[in-house]
Amino acid sequence: MSNTNSLLTIKDLHASVEEKQIIKGLDLEIKPGEVHAIMGPNGAGKSTLGYVLSGRDGYSVESGSVTLDGEDLLDMETEDRARAGLFLAFQYPVEIPGVSNLEFLKASVDAQREARGEDAITSADFLKEAKAACKQVNLPVAFLKRGVNEGFSGGEKKRNELMQMLLL
Amino acid sequence: MTEQIDKALAREYEAGFVSDVESETFEPGLNEDVIRRISGMKGEPEWMLEWRLSAFREWLEMEEPEWALVDYPKIDFQSISYYSAPKSMKDKPKSLDEVDPELLRTYEKLGIPLIEQQMLAGIAVDAVFDSVSVVTTFREKLEEAGVIFCPISEAVHKYPDLVKKYIGSVVPKKDNYYAALNCAVFTDGSFVYIPKGTRCPMELSTYFRINEQNTGQFERTLIIADEGSHVSYLEGCTAPQRDENQLHAAVVELVAMDNAEIKYSTVQNWYPGDENGKGGIYNFVTKRGICHTNAKISWTQVETGSSVTWKYPSCILKGDNSVGEFYSVALTRGRQQADTGTKMIHLGKNTKSTIISKGISAGRSNNSYRGLVRMNPGAEGARNFTQCDSLLIGDQCGAHTFPYVESRNPSAIVEHEATTSKVSDEQMFLCRQRGLDPEKAVSMIVNGFCKEVFKELPMEFAVEAGKLLEISLEGSVG
Repeated sequence: MSNTNSLLTIKDLHASVEEKQIIKGLDLEIKPGEVHAIMGPNGAGKSTLGYVLSGRDGYSVESGSVTLDGEDLLDMETEDRARAGLFLAFQYPVEIPGVSNLEFLKASVDAQREARGEDAITSADFLKEAKAACKQVNLPVAFLKRGVNEGFSGGEKKRNELMQMLLL
Repeated sequence: MTEQIDKALAREYEAGFVSDVESETFEPGLNEDVIRRISGMKGEPEWMLEWRLSAFREWLEMEEPEWALVDYPKIDFQSISYYSAPKSMKDKPKSLDEVDPELLRTYEKLGIPLIEQQMLAGIAVDAVFDSVSVVTTFREKLEEAGVIFCPISEAVHKYPDLVKKYIGSVVPKKDNYYAALNCAVFTDGSFVYIPKGTRCPMELSTYFRINEQNTGQFERTLIIADEGSHVSYLEGCTAPQRDENQLHAAVVELVAMDNAEIKYSTVQNWYPGDENGKGGIYNFVTKRGICHTNAKISWTQVETGSSVTWKYPSCILKGDNSVGEFYSVALTRGRQQADTGTKMIHLGKNTKSTIISKGISAGRSNNSYRGLVRMNPGAEGARNFTQCDSLLIGDQCGAHTFPYVESRNPSAIVEHEATTSKVSDEQMFLCRQRGLDPEKAVSMIVNGFCKEVFKELPMEFAVEAGKLLEISLEGSVG
């Protein structure tokens, strides 16, 4: 496979958590439009890969490289990776009490737009988009008003993650 | 993480500038002659001077309280100047045109234009600069409704009966060390009277500014809401950035007659000192209100400034069915120390109180909630609900809760809930993974934590408070 039209390229990645090596020499290339599923037994390092790619504290890369659109991903801050288009759907999304879903999403969307040099989205336009996204993942619009993941059921949390992915 | 937070929290204090105003300032020192001079500067009647002097004699006998969880060098009361006023105020300007433009510019810089046309519609402001009130806006409009809103130094002359009757009626002269000191040397502050059955047509607010060096500010506010009336009042405070500590010891008294309601909000942003704890305001404040039958007093405070805060806005629920509320956000960072909370004294039947306190500590600060809920024997069916939440940012700060509950009536119900949490790594990671930078993430999490209190602030100020918190946390990388 050639590198030229690859979107995400992982080369010989070695990564560890608390000095325990979890990922030992991973190569992966994802081209635009491709869907990949990574499978493996418990402890194989699937979640670790997600965290390493998104730059979570405590996950360290020992060797290898990762590029997104040709840019060195491992060199970027977590938020810059997100702005570059990396989205991690959480296994156990954490609650942020008192911050409404709508507020959180708009702030995220605005941060990403700002990184692309675009103006902040108007509240009215955003509300329209957010309502449409809710509909798509079959969540009542009332969810937008609730605190981020506050008191959501497991299924609701997952749908909420999907909705965020649609909007960002 | 902590190192980043500390670095990031060393932000600029935006209100830290000094105004170039020529002032008449007393030599440092405190004795009966100084009190006579203060009284003389204000042209006070004899009874007011006598009241001051008796408070001063009480104060000399009192001890500085040491029970609060704050640590600061002993204050030398002889090294402080007790009166300072811009020279231009000596001739008592009759209108805004006569006020020194430098004074007006000071308030404009702080975001409080005093020219009525430029102001937020619906808010009247009393601007207090060091020891004097500079200007009080919208007075005529308020007078039409029968509302009195003026500097307390003026009220002493114009409304002596009201002042004489109520000053010291809620906070007695010898209530505590700082209150007694304030009674002896208070300089200015606001006086409000809302007549029977009147709903004050505007928000009232007082803006306190300390400018002069080595000067203490001893403000005194008295608000009387007559039967069935309603008023919402807000105070704001800032001071220049200086290496020396300055003392601010205020007394606020609220009187809510039968069926009256007073809503009192504070946005306190005195200079907090630098990251090593150098400089900053010592804020020792006594605030208390009395509720008669069916009356309600609601205190809301957002405390982000001062190097030391010692403050317990309280309610005496004297009348049956009266209601007291206390909503507080206290943010400390750097080396700030806050010991704040409330007292709810239930005397009447079926009295109700609610306490919601949110403490946020960052840097190497210490943040304490100290509260007393007392159910007296006569408080049949009284209820209290208290919720104290603490949020820690970083691993070098402290959060403490000292709730005191005294129940002498078996039918009274007292509830207390408390939580302590940290801005968690998971929360930070979630926010950053969605593209938010760490500063925005922390301020969003903190704002969410404070939401219950912010919703109690008057609309215009809720936005201000949110912004203030954002500035205070600017760069607080998690």
